[in-house]
Amino acid sequence: MIEVKNIRKKYGGKTVLEDISFTAEKGDITCLIGLNGAGKTTILNAIMGLTPIQSGQILINGEVLHKASYEKISYIPDTISMSPQMKISQGLQFMDDFYSSWNHKRASELLDFFSLSENERISRLSKGNIAKLNILLGLSLDVEFIIMDEPFSGIDLFSREQIAEVFTSNLIEDRGVIITTHEINEIEHLIDKAILLYDGTVLKEFCTEETREKEGKSVVDVMREVYQK
Amino acid sequence: MNFNNREPVYIQVIRHFKEQMASGNLEPGQEIQSRRELASKLKINPNTVQRAYKEMEDQGLIYTERNSPSRITKDKQILQEVREELILQAVDSFITSVRSIQVPLDDVLELIKQKYQNGK
Amino acid sequence: MSKYIKLVHFEFNRFSNIFFILIGITIVSQIISVFTSANNYLGNVNQMVYREGMTKEQFIEQYDYMSLHQLTDSVWFVGPIALCIVTLLIYLFFIWYRDWFGKNSFIYRLLMLPTSRVNLYMAKVTTIMLLVFGLVGLQLLLLPIENMILGIIVPSEYTMDLPVYETFTYRYEFLVKLFPKTFMQFSVYYSVGLMGVLVLFTVILFERCFRWKGIAIGIIYCILSALVFTSPLIVQSTFLDNFFYPIELLGLIVITGLIVTTASIMVSLYLLKNKITV
Repeated sequence: MIEVKNIRKKYGGKTVLEDISFTAEKGDITCLIGLNGAGKTTILNAIMGLTPIQSGQILINGEVLHKASYEKISYIPDTISMSPQMKISQGLQFMDDFYSSWNHKRASELLDFFSLSENERISRLSKGNIAKLNILLGLSLDVEFIIMDEPFSGIDLFSREQIAEVFTSNLIEDRGVIITTHEINEIEHLIDKAILLYDGTVLKEFCTEETREKEGKSVVDVMREVYQK
Repeated sequence: MNFNNREPVYIQVIRHFKEQMASGNLEPGQEIQSRRELASKLKINPNTVQRAYKEMEDQGLIYTERNSPSRITKDKQILQEVREELILQAVDSFITSVRSIQVPLDDVLELIKQKYQNGK
Repeated sequence: MSKYIKLVHFEFNRFSNIFFILIGITIVSQIISVFTSANNYLGNVNQMVYREGMTKEQFIEQYDYMSLHQLTDSVWFVGPIALCIVTLLIYLFFIWYRDWFGKNSFIYRLLMLPTSRVNLYMAKVTTIMLLVFGLVGLQLLLLPIENMILGIIVPSEYTMDLPVYETFTYRYEFLVKLFPKTFMQFSVYYSVGLMGVLVLFTVILFERCFRWKGIAIGIIYCILSALVFTSPLIVQSTFLDNFFYPIELLGLIVITGLIVTTASIMVSLYLLKNKITV
C-alpha cells in the first residue's frame, strides 16, 4: 500500500500541494483526476523522491522511500526516461544492468507488442513511440507498484488502445497502479478508486463501483458535482 | 462490450453472463474463461471480473471445482430462474416505456404478436 | 560498489566520442606542428647560416636551440591544449545539465536508480578526473615522441633536450602547473583543482535545487569557500604579519583545503539526496 499523508509542497513561493492525503492499495487501479496544474504530476514526483516536500509523509508498505524502494515501485513519467542518445537496445541493457527486478523476457514481449525496433535511436522516436517505450521500461520491472503519469496524453487513438490494453492484461494484475489523467472517459470503467484534485487539494476520494452501486453515479457525474461547487 | 458508467461494471458483466446462459450461448457445465482472459477480452479491470465471478459463484450461477476452471451451473432450476429473470426484466422495461404512451392492452398484445411472428 | 563502477562506465562512455576526437585532434595537430616548426627552424638555419654567413654560435644566440619549448610558439601545438581545456571546462557544467536539458529528462532515471545517490555524484567526479588524467597523460606521452622527432629532423648541434616539465615555462606558466616536476607539486596543484571542481559542482547543485535563488546561494558559497581556503594567507599578510613559517602555512592551507573539499562534498550530497527536483 502507498500512503500519502498530509503532504505539503511549495515551489517558488506558491503552495502547489496543500495537505494531500490518500492511499493506493496493492491490486487496485487508483486514478488521480484533475485539471492541468492541479498538482497530479507533483504528487507522483514526490512519491518517487524526485522533488522534495515541505511537510507530510509518504510511506510505501509502511516504509519511507529509500534506494531499495526503486526495485518495488516503477514510475512511468510523461517525459522520456532514458537517454535519447541511446538506441532502444542500449536503454534496455541499462535497465538490466541496474535493476535486479528487470524482466528482460517481458521487455522483449512488450517490444513486439508495441512494434518497436531495438535498433531505433531514442531521439528519433515519435511521441507515441516514446510513450510506449516509457511504458515498456516501466512494466518490464517486476515491481509491486506502477505509477503512470498521463499515459494517454498526446497519443494517437490506436496507440491509446494499445496502451489501454495493458491495464486489462496480466501485466497489471496483483500490482498497485496509480495513474493520473485528465481524460477520464476512456478509462472510467477500468479504475477502482478515484481521487479528485483541485488546486493542490483533495476534494474527494471514492471507490468507483461502490458509488455506481449506491448512488448510480459515474465518475464523470461525481466530478461534475464536485467541481461545480 | 460497451459499459454504462453509472452502473457497477461487475453487475453488467453478470448480466452479460445471464444473457449468454439464457440464450444458450453458454451451456450448462461449460467452462468459462479465466479471470485474466476475460478481463483481457472485455478490456476491463481484472478486479471487476473477480468480483463478478465471486458474485456469480455466490448466486450459484457458476461453480468451481478444485484446481479446475469455473463452469456454468448445471442446476436446471437456477437456469430457469435466470431465464425468467431476464424475461421479466425485458417485460418490465417494455411496460415502463409503453405505459407512458397509454395504449390499450389488447392493441399492445396484438402488435407484439404481429412483430414476434414476423421476426421469426 | 559495482553500481558505482557501472555509473562511471556509463558517464565515461557518454563523453567518449568527444574524448577520442580531442585525442585525435591533439595528436594530429601537434605532430604536424612538430614537422612545420622543425622545418621552419631548418629553413631559418639555411637562410642565416648557409646563405648569410652567420656562425652557428651566433645563430643559436639569436634564435635559440630547437627544443620542445620552441614548439609552444606554434598555434598548432598549443591550440589543441586550449581546445581540450575549454572543452573540459564546459563539460564540468554539461556533465550535470545534459541530464535536464532539451528533450532530455534522463535525470528522472538517474535519480530513480536503486543505488545511493552518492554513487551518482562520485561517478561524475570520477569521470572528470579520468578525463583530465587521460588528456594530461596523452600530452606526457606525446612530448617525448615529439622530442624524438625533433631530434631526427634537426641536426643535434642545434637541438637541446629539455626535460618534459620545462616545455611550457615562461610562456605558459599555467600549463607548467599541469605538468609538474615533483610529486609534491602534483599533489598540491591537482588537489586544488579537484577542490575547485567540487566547489563548482556544489554551486551547480544549488542551482538545480533552487534555480535563481540557488545561483545566488551558490555564488555566496563559492566566495565563502575561497575565503576559507585562503584564510591562512589572508591572516598571514594582514593580522599576524608573517607570523607563520612557510611549512606551517602549507599545513594550514592543507587543512583549509580539506575543510572546503569535505564541506563541498557533504553539501552536494545533502542537496542531491534531499533537495533536488526535476
